[in-house]
Amino acid sequence: MSSTLETRERRTGWLLLAPALILLALVYAYPIARSLWLSLFNQNLGTELQPVFTGLDNYVRMSGDGRFWQSILNTSVFTVASVLIELVIGMGIALVLNQSFPGRGAIRTIAILPWALPTALIGTTWAWIFNDQAGIVNDILLRLGLIETGINWLGNPLPALLSVIVADVWKTTPFISILLLAGLQSIPGDLYEAHAIDGASPWQSFRQITLPLLMPQILVATLFRFAQAFGIFDLIQVMTSGGPGGATETVSIYIYATVMRYLDFGYGAALVVVTFVVLVLVMAIAAFFLSKVRAATGDR
Amino acid sequence: MVPLPSSAAVETSPSPSPLSVKKIVLPLAVILVVGFSLAPILWQVLTSVKTNADIAAVPNVYLPTRFTLEHYIEIFRRRPFLSYMLNSFMVATISTLLCLLIGTPAAYALARLKLPGEQAILAIVLIITLFPYILLFLGLLEIVRALGLANNYLALVIPYTAINVPLTILVMRSFFQQLPRDLEDSAKVDGYGTWQMLAQILVPLTVPALVTTGILTFISAWNEFLFALTFITRESLKTIPVAVAQISGTAAFEIPYGPLAAATVVGTLPLVALVLLFQRRIVQGLTAGAVKG
Amino acid sequence: MKGNLASRFGQRFFWPFSWRWLSRASAFQRRMLLALAVCLSIILFGAIAYSQQPITLTLLMPALDVQAGRSMADQFEASNPGIKLEIVEGPNASNLVEDLYTSSFLLGDTPYDLVLMDVVWLPKFAAAGWLLDITDRVPADQLTAFLPADLEGGRYQNRLYRLPMRSDSGLLYYRQDLLAKAGLQPPTTFDDLINISKTLQERGDVRWGYVWQGRQYEGLAAMFTEVLAGFGGFWVKPDTLEVGLDRPEAIQAVNFLRRTVQEGVSPPGVTTYQEEEARRLFQSGDVAFMRSWPYAYPLGSAEGSPIKGLFSFKPMVHAPGFDSAGCLGGWGLGIAKTSRYPDAALKVVQYFASPEGQRFTILENGYLPTRPSLYTDPLIVAKYSYFPQMQTVAEKAVLRPPVAQYAQVSDILQRYLSAALTDRTPVADAMRNAAQETRRLLDTNES
Repeated sequence: MSSTLETRERRTGWLLLAPALILLALVYAYPIARSLWLSLFNQNLGTELQPVFTGLDNYVRMSGDGRFWQSILNTSVFTVASVLIELVIGMGIALVLNQSFPGRGAIRTIAILPWALPTALIGTTWAWIFNDQAGIVNDILLRLGLIETGINWLGNPLPALLSVIVADVWKTTPFISILLLAGLQSIPGDLYEAHAIDGASPWQSFRQITLPLLMPQILVATLFRFAQAFGIFDLIQVMTSGGPGGATETVSIYIYATVMRYLDFGYGAALVVVTFVVLVLVMAIAAFFLSKVRAATGDR
Repeated sequence: MVPLPSSAAVETSPSPSPLSVKKIVLPLAVILVVGFSLAPILWQVLTSVKTNADIAAVPNVYLPTRFTLEHYIEIFRRRPFLSYMLNSFMVATISTLLCLLIGTPAAYALARLKLPGEQAILAIVLIITLFPYILLFLGLLEIVRALGLANNYLALVIPYTAINVPLTILVMRSFFQQLPRDLEDSAKVDGYGTWQMLAQILVPLTVPALVTTGILTFISAWNEFLFALTFITRESLKTIPVAVAQISGTAAFEIPYGPLAAATVVGTLPLVALVLLFQRRIVQGLTAGAVKG
Repeated sequence: MKGNLASRFGQRFFWPFSWRWLSRASAFQRRMLLALAVCLSIILFGAIAYSQQPITLTLLMPALDVQAGRSMADQFEASNPGIKLEIVEGPNASNLVEDLYTSSFLLGDTPYDLVLMDVVWLPKFAAAGWLLDITDRVPADQLTAFLPADLEGGRYQNRLYRLPMRSDSGLLYYRQDLLAKAGLQPPTTFDDLINISKTLQERGDVRWGYVWQGRQYEGLAAMFTEVLAGFGGFWVKPDTLEVGLDRPEAIQAVNFLRRTVQEGVSPPGVTTYQEEEARRLFQSGDVAFMRSWPYAYPLGSAEGSPIKGLFSFKPMVHAPGFDSAGCLGGWGLGIAKTSRYPDAALKVVQYFASPEGQRFTILENGYLPTRPSLYTDPLIVAKYSYFPQMQTVAEKAVLRPPVAQYAQVSDILQRYLSAALTDRTPVADAMRNAAQETRRLLDTNES
């Protein structure tokens, strides 16, 4: 009796799951498996877009491809810088939003606004803000007397990288604030009271209570943001298209150009595979730390 | 398990600092937060109503005396902006509905029914939410070419549905888990089958959760850029993000900042409205999606 | 138009969802059925109207050229009543136009019958199989009226895909007045260029001797093609795919460019210049020589220009024993393989490349013609007196490597050349890496 019930439940379960699993297989599993296969072929303009099996040639070519390594470096700098800055600012915003003050609901709404807006449009906004002629950043710096002539932000390598980092920080900090705020709200207030009675300063309570108890949220937020920042495409495509001279070219931008501009499908597939492997490795490391922290802070 | 932030959990805020410090520092901090979040948007709004002369003026004009709507008129006159809006709206709406339709049953199965390999499926779903779209785009491009889906809403609807299914599953699963089990047990005692119970009892109860996930999906679909850029090449079928980005590309020599700002404002308005209306749900959904699992 | 509308509806409202809605509410159902009926009748009538309408050919153009293109199209339509031309306005930046053509062909749903191509895209489009081979459709005697380099730019692996409608070529501008004052002749060799620059600088006539395009972008590759050819080197040989970037001539070419900066002849910032930065500096009167394109001539001769009437131009300098080379630019029209009306499209291609067609864009925009006869055309010379002299430049034009993967090949060179010019990589290393990467890309394992 119970076993038939169980089989029926199982059947229903798989039936309920099937559409989702099929869709995910089509849109996630197939493209990645397909890229793995395609990366063993030469399929580009040189072969008139016909696939020719070449084994691991694409990977050999990649090892000597200076532009690929440059894009990996750019992506890493971009990712590490923006995620770190976002963590700091996001923590600050979360702490502020966790206080009680009149109009807190409205302020919270405002604070998540940047996250909800289309990245491509935000890219045009920031490109305008960093415009070399009439951009507001140059204007403010000139008025403050910090610079004497306008900086061509998007036209020079380092300023361009800085500009896209700033834009990304603005856009995605709210995501971190939201996650950290949820964590803050789960920390019981009496912990702080007891600590304050013991004579601890606010900074000490932050270090000794908030940070350790918030660690799971911080790690989750970092993991999510890391993956998103590593795959950044729209913001950079709109602001600099990877320029000037490849200074802001991330892996995504390079893959896109390889496929859509060079029509080099085999090599593009190899780039996809390597990016995928790098991401999975980093995620595995992060997941390992996450499980350790979770074990340390109890069932969270 | 992390409690969801909700209206019930208001007074948890610790106040370790003395009251006097709080009175000065807190308002300043709040102003900083507001300024950080709003300044770029306000600058864009201001640009969109400035005259061309004021836009190009150096030093910048912060308090214009002349206002104009010409940029707004121009984007609707020179480009099929209404089509762009309609395209974005249709694609986002259809994929949101599909996503709920496909994701919710899956979430229920993972929350309630004992299935072998359940943990593995959950883990895969969670990892999948972390994949950048660029990893999928080459394979999808081949599918779109093979099926002749170029310049068809389906070329966007299918991937948008899929990329939001994992989040839907995670969020809905956590809601199902919070629902008391008794409910279903008593329903079963009353002779409801799984399907009936799902349709008549569970789904009505989960409407709020559906709205939450739906909003997140809608936002993500409205904002998506890479697939929209690649799979749609006809002007009349483009979505807002791509269309606006290509206004900026339209003139490498002289970028039309006024119309660009106006287009940005128009393209973001629907989302601003969503955030204003559903701020709390968005926060719930995001935390449930990210922290669970 | 009606046909267009119907097909747009067809694309937008694909079937599964309209049917699902149908089965829900009956009032809605009726409305939907009505809408469906309307749609069907639009398609039907549209189809009838369409079959009676003249053939419509679609073409994508950079926004800047749309106006001249429109007047050409009007002229064409007047003499070919059965054919209409629909010009779609694309972005100004030519690489974005290339991307739009590329993705619309790649995805297999292209609206374009005609393809307006920059000379460097042609091998890519042809190799991808998107262009109609017109070798046997254009009589050979029609071809002899074009400048050889422009015509060659329309060929890929000896098949013809494009007729050239406007040309462009790199050249050297110089300040006539300063040279006369110092009693000097215009330079012919690279060394001349540097020495004369120094003389003029020392005399206090100008601040800088020579400006060129040094930023990492396609213009750098174009400029380098000329210097490379001037030293007798080559970049990629199209037939054997041999790569010459690490040969001594190429190293000499890079060293010449570095010398201009090291010896103070060119401003240090020249490695960030594109055409406009160089032109503004030259036009301000502070520079003796500039490498640029013909477009700078009318601008420098305009009312209010400080160098109006004080400058002239000549083919690019070269090393002793070699010849001048100007990088060939220019645009032409080809036919999409998917076009349903190749014969009508060919008429447009021939008209746009004809003397009458070219005269339009020349008189409107000052572009160079692709036919020698037009350089001395009375109507054109009346407006642009310097055109006969331009012919000497146009005849020295050389192609960038006409290989299918040119975009990639060029990006590789730009990266390493820029690194060498800005002292980030030693010249020999940079050029060896550039050559090796290019070889690996083209899969040629010689040397």
